[in-house]
Amino acid sequence: MKLDVNEALRYLGVRGEPDPELSAQVARTAEELTNLLTPRYTYQVFDLAPAPGGIRLAGTETVLPGTTAARMLGSCRQAALLACTLGARFDQMLLAAQARDMARAVVLDACGGAWVEAGCDEAEHEIAARFPGQYLTDRFSPGYGDLPLSLQSGLCALLDTPRRLGLYVTESDMLHPVKSVTALVGIADAPQPARVRGCGACTLRETCAYRKGGQRCAR
Amino acid sequence: MRDEFWREGLTLLDGALGTVLQHADLPPGARPELLALTHPQILSDIHRAYAQAGSQVVYANTFGCNAKKLAGTGRGVEEVVAASVAAARTGAAGTGARVALDIGPLGELLEPLGSLTFEGAYALFREVVEAGVRAGVDLVVIETMTDLYEAKAALLAAKEHSDLPVFVTLSFEEGGRTFTGCGVTAMARTLEGLGADAIGFNCSLGPDGLAPLVEELAGATSLPIIAKPNAGLPDPLDGHYPMGPEEFAATLAVLVDRGAAILGGCCGTTPDYIAAVQAALAGKTPAPRRYRPASRVCTPTRCLTVDGVRVIGERINPTGKKRLQQALREGDLDYILDLAVRQEDAGADILDVNVGCPGVDEVELLPKVVKKLQSAVSLPLQLDSADPAALEAALRVYNGKPVVNSVNGDPASLAAVLPLVKKYGAAVVGLCLDEKGLPQTAEERLAIARRILSAALAQGIPREDVWIDCLTMTVSAQQSQAVETLQAVRTVREELGLQTVLGVSNISFGLPQRPLVNQTFLTAALACGLTLPILDPNRAEMMDAIRAFRALSGEDEGCGAYVERFAQASAPAAPAPDPGAGEALTLAQAILKGRRGEAGRLAREALERMEPLALVEGELIPALDRAGEEYEAGRLYLPQLLSAAQAAQSVFEAVADQLERTGAAPVKKGALAVATVRGDIHDIGKNIAKTVLENYGYQVLDLGRDVPPETVAEEAARRGLKLVGLSALMTTTLPAMAETVRLLKALPQPPAVFVAGAVVTEDYARSIGADYYAKDAKASAQIAREVLG
Repeated sequence: MKLDVNEALRYLGVRGEPDPELSAQVARTAEELTNLLTPRYTYQVFDLAPAPGGIRLAGTETVLPGTTAARMLGSCRQAALLACTLGARFDQMLLAAQARDMARAVVLDACGGAWVEAGCDEAEHEIAARFPGQYLTDRFSPGYGDLPLSLQSGLCALLDTPRRLGLYVTESDMLHPVKSVTALVGIADAPQPARVRGCGACTLRETCAYRKGGQRCAR
Repeated sequence: MRDEFWREGLTLLDGALGTVLQHADLPPGARPELLALTHPQILSDIHRAYAQAGSQVVYANTFGCNAKKLAGTGRGVEEVVAASVAAARTGAAGTGARVALDIGPLGELLEPLGSLTFEGAYALFREVVEAGVRAGVDLVVIETMTDLYEAKAALLAAKEHSDLPVFVTLSFEEGGRTFTGCGVTAMARTLEGLGADAIGFNCSLGPDGLAPLVEELAGATSLPIIAKPNAGLPDPLDGHYPMGPEEFAATLAVLVDRGAAILGGCCGTTPDYIAAVQAALAGKTPAPRRYRPASRVCTPTRCLTVDGVRVIGERINPTGKKRLQQALREGDLDYILDLAVRQEDAGADILDVNVGCPGVDEVELLPKVVKKLQSAVSLPLQLDSADPAALEAALRVYNGKPVVNSVNGDPASLAAVLPLVKKYGAAVVGLCLDEKGLPQTAEERLAIARRILSAALAQGIPREDVWIDCLTMTVSAQQSQAVETLQAVRTVREELGLQTVLGVSNISFGLPQRPLVNQTFLTAALACGLTLPILDPNRAEMMDAIRAFRALSGEDEGCGAYVERFAQASAPAAPAPDPGAGEALTLAQAILKGRRGEAGRLAREALERMEPLALVEGELIPALDRAGEEYEAGRLYLPQLLSAAQAAQSVFEAVADQLERTGAAPVKKGALAVATVRGDIHDIGKNIAKTVLENYGYQVLDLGRDVPPETVAEEAARRGLKLVGLSALMTTTLPAMAETVRLLKALPQPPAVFVAGAVVTEDYARSIGADYYAKDAKASAQIAREVLG
């Protein structure tokens, strides 16, 4: 697992060539963070079944409604549901950092974002390895496109994330601890085009600082 | 006489309910918490199968039976607990198995990370315990906890609302910590102190993974140890647990050799596993225990063993400190937290916390301060108050094992304080004085120490938790006392073998060159056996004296820490981290570059030749504006903007010091409140804005996160605020933002409102009636200037 320092810099709003002092600070904080904490993840693979109003994770009550899920999973018979978190200890670190040095805290926050993504990548690799000869779609999460945030509590319950990861969902559908991700990855027989990694599917497209600056966050 | 059945030989608990239920014929979507109402027979059959397999205790199906998890089911705690316990009784009938009330986690993070308060968690657990007692359970089991604070709330509720035995097990990860970072020894000292009857581990790891943890626990507690592990770690793809019954039982037998005496299974185990364990353990007896008592205090993440000199930081004590007194009266907890983090970062091991000063309600404030400190400081605290009610309020909400400062030899003090120390499992500082005052001789002080010790032992407080303070008197006023104090320290250490505490700084009051006297007295006291000096860890000469002493006493093996401390001082100057460092900077440049120390120094120099207000308006604000413009232009990024703001803070501190010296009115711009709206737990954006606003000189009232609309409106009205800032990160919390704006605008004198956050836009701000949209922290400062001047 590797924390992508450039990704953390992007979260800090850095566009173009980063200032060397800031880059060094981010690299230092990234090292401290990765020495202290490892992202934890869990996943489960479900068969997909058509259901009124969306796609059902077979054997469960969970239906994924809307066009995003239909587009992403249209050619898949199965999907992996994954959850990844840096855990409560990251939140503790962030509180401690904010009490000492707010500048360092925002750097830590950005590194945390990149580190939990690295955990998701690792989980995805593990899933891919268990389905040789098959192809994964892009990862997508509640909040992307029209996949509703209200799915969070059901998805976390399916993975028993409170017990396995210490990951909870608040009444306002936020994941808690703060650096946490739930995501779906479709498993298909044929190669999958990139779909999610563009601004068209992103709910932040109206307010995004990168877009305002003519940049994109995705590769 | 309580039936302490678990103290005889090995005790066998049950295995998992959920795993067996997966094989039962349940309709999809059935709520597991409600099975006792919908399918009592299925439950009874499982309990019976466990009892017949050898379980001496079966856990009733009450793991998730709390008001929070039952919300929306239309069923109440009382009813579900009663039915669940009845199903367990039916299953256990005729087998001799006892029935436990099973209490699991509430399913959300407690404060300081989440919004659920300690008191709120306690109330939820209390309801479950009371229902369990009425249902007639034989014992209470608190299990699968990952947050020591939540386990404490549940244990306290069980102890205060039942006379039943209480077992507590936490769920640990590889690496020996829970999800929230709690370590094994911290768990042991905290839960044993609070009166648990047996403690240990369940869930999470398999029995092989538990072995080192059981071993650590065996050395850290005198209580019987529970091990109720999973059948290994599940395969994520299909949820299958890898260990079969025989392998599981064989590994559990290893845990018995390491010290576990109460055994069972968690996820992945069934009655077959318990039967296998029963067979594997036949004829086995508990391993001899090797608990070695030690003087310890802890927070969940840090356990401090006093096996050498440990420093108690003295800074959070308002005696003679005007700014701290003012902060306490105004409830400015951030100021107090700052005192704490500076002491932690300077190397303190424990922090004394005293908030007693005129105009302050200690009973209300001390627990608030404790909560604030434990949000960002990992050191154990010394709760310091003369008011037993304040001590108890703080002991309740403390997360870990604290030390109480203090009790003394007066029978009234012993009677008021020691029961609290015992109940909450703290250590205690005993002052060598009594109702007749402070004795003049070392012998008399030793006699009081003896009295305190025997009273503590009689309460059941172990001797390693009794720390004696022989009391320092000012040498310029009572010269003969310095020697008596040192002699008292020596005899308490040598004759009673207790830890010794001593406030060092009082010795030099009224003398010139106080640091020299303090340092010399400290060194003399350490030589006499002082183990817990109370001092200001920010004073290098004091910390260095301790480092030197540790080298001389052999505590600092190989003098490594001592050498490390001074290696840099004698080495040639390290290359500067930045090519600009070291060159002469103007104040504005120092702020722009975020050099805190440099900016403070330059400000103090400038204040010798200019008025504070002129410095703020003429130099500081323009420099901050410049940083803001650079940020706008994309030449500075957020961390750099914040560094500049923090450098500005050191200028403000210099200004405040100057004003305090001259007695002039403080430079204060207008006040505003900031809050993250209800439902929203992400508050770093709000905190960034707060940092920037404060460093422009505004008084920022931080209402926190997940703040109900009513609270924001009440505070705004009560304080007559002209400006309020609100933040929301997610679309799901925008309605709460709209509601907050609506309530604010309905006030008789509505404040101006600005809103901010990732999903907020200019249009949205306008649509909900906010006056301003702040696209970043810089913008919030412009808005404050427009509204407040």
